[in-house]
Amino acid sequence: MQRTLTARDAFRRKTLWTALVVAAAAFILFPVIWMIGMMVKPTDIMFARPTEWLFVPTLEHFNYVFEQKFHHYLLTSVLLGLISTLLVVIIGTPAAYSFARFEMRGKDDLFLFVLASRMAPPVCLVIPYYLIFARIDLLDTFIGLTLAYMTFNLSFYIWVLRSFCRDLPAELEDAARLEGWSRVQIFRRIVLPLLRNGIVATSVLCFIFAWNEFLFAFMLGGKAVKTLPVAIPTLITTQGVRWGEMAVVGMVALAPVLIAVFFLQRHIVRGLTMGAVKG
Amino acid sequence: MTDVPIEDMPNQGGPSKAVVKRQPSHGEPVWYPYLLMAPAMITLTIVALLPFLFAVFISFHEMKFGKFGDFAGFGNYVELLSDGRFWNALGVAVLFVAIAVPLEFMLGLTGALVLSRPIWGRSVLIPFLFIPTMMAPIVVGLLWKIMLAGSWGLLSYNVIEPLGLAGETSIFASPDYALFALIFVDIWQWTPFMMLAFFAGLQALPINPFRAAAVDGANPIQRFFWLTLPMMTPLLVVIGLLRLIDAFKVFDSIFILTGGGPGTQTEMPSVLAYKMTFEFWNIGEASALAVVVWVLFFVFCNVFYQVAKKKLNAF
Repeated sequence: MQRTLTARDAFRRKTLWTALVVAAAAFILFPVIWMIGMMVKPTDIMFARPTEWLFVPTLEHFNYVFEQKFHHYLLTSVLLGLISTLLVVIIGTPAAYSFARFEMRGKDDLFLFVLASRMAPPVCLVIPYYLIFARIDLLDTFIGLTLAYMTFNLSFYIWVLRSFCRDLPAELEDAARLEGWSRVQIFRRIVLPLLRNGIVATSVLCFIFAWNEFLFAFMLGGKAVKTLPVAIPTLITTQGVRWGEMAVVGMVALAPVLIAVFFLQRHIVRGLTMGAVKG
Repeated sequence: MTDVPIEDMPNQGGPSKAVVKRQPSHGEPVWYPYLLMAPAMITLTIVALLPFLFAVFISFHEMKFGKFGDFAGFGNYVELLSDGRFWNALGVAVLFVAIAVPLEFMLGLTGALVLSRPIWGRSVLIPFLFIPTMMAPIVVGLLWKIMLAGSWGLLSYNVIEPLGLAGETSIFASPDYALFALIFVDIWQWTPFMMLAFFAGLQALPINPFRAAAVDGANPIQRFFWLTLPMMTPLLVVIGLLRLIDAFKVFDSIFILTGGGPGTQTEMPSVLAYKMTFEFWNIGEASALAVVVWVLFFVFCNVFYQVAKKKLNAF
């Protein structure tokens, strides 16, 4: 027998479940909150045992970060993310549309090829890349890293945007075709506007992946082209670890992610499952 | 959440999309779809296929300290397979994946069920849960380096030391617990994602079977095992496989947290490949390792693709 629920019972239960989820979320996010505290925690009490919870905030760590020219690395990260994402959007959009809309010979194999280049462990790619780039002088250049980022971002973009393309009704394009529109017109005036949300969501994800990337940037860049994630371990110096500075840089590296999660919401699930789950 | 292909929904009646099979190529010439994907395919060939073939090429040659030597046949592979570190790395990876992924899976599924109860402000909470997953792995490593720093780290001092697990040094330097600490970090990063992916799957389930079950008086546990779980299976498999693939290639957080140490306790294949290349400069063997791992991944990928395509109708 199921007990009949009164409105008050339902209210109580809802409150209870909400409290549970909020508590779990707070628990999960606690290290992030702690890192925010570390940004302004004076060095002399940082290593205190037992832990000091209350302190007067300081900006000393920010000063060091600026002295060490971390804003250059920030700029590099932004530029590299933007350039590689833009290129991916230009090359990938027609391919995603084509995969979604047309039947053709060898489609499955091509698609698997795209997936395989997404799934390949980056560390396996970095070895041949390093040797090739050393030979043709692409080490430590924007071009080199942009090419390397294509391996995971272009394939990712095609896969995920394809799932957005599949949601578009084909009837509109068929009608336009009957009206005598050209292929270019159909693509520009019908497909692209309808796909806008998908393109924006997917390319923001691509930007985040490029922004977060460490191994390629570390091995194939590092001096002239040094991104934020690569700059973080340099704060582990021979004189010790600069914890407060690490927290500052870590938080800067986290900032676009914080914006993106609120902006993308459910598209993230679709993206991270390669379009398999529609979020 | 509503745009699940109609074919996926059992007992819905309604028109089936599968019947209205479209004309091949939409009346466009045969070359048109190929033209659209040509730039992408050429790019991927250059940036992914060629480097891979180059790695295969190197793996069959003597190569140490950046100098090409003679053709070595399977020499590098023999060297790799007789290298204790290779088997150690595989063992570490299997242990890592075998503990981390099932735990993330179960915690994620539980979390998804909790999240699908009626709660307030769900849409406000969800973005927060995405934060660990979307974070750069290097920042994840940094967060836990701070939390678990030797002697003064918040968790080190307040939790690990009282439990007597790792004295005043960081747990990441402990031969017994370093790997488990890394597993814990992986679980922290990926459980929220599993939770939200499963939650999205739960939301997309058709409601009618559940109504019918309620009419028949099925209790929640019966409903879960006889309805939710069977209907979710393809999705669970796909997400599990994806996570498996990703967990196997984790590098950044290990690099910043333990660097594979202490000793070779946390040396995953990706860390070993890195060390072989850039520390020992034994590039021939490292390439052999890369090729082996690559082939392994391709098998996983293929399974993922087949399941996702056939069972989930996703692609």
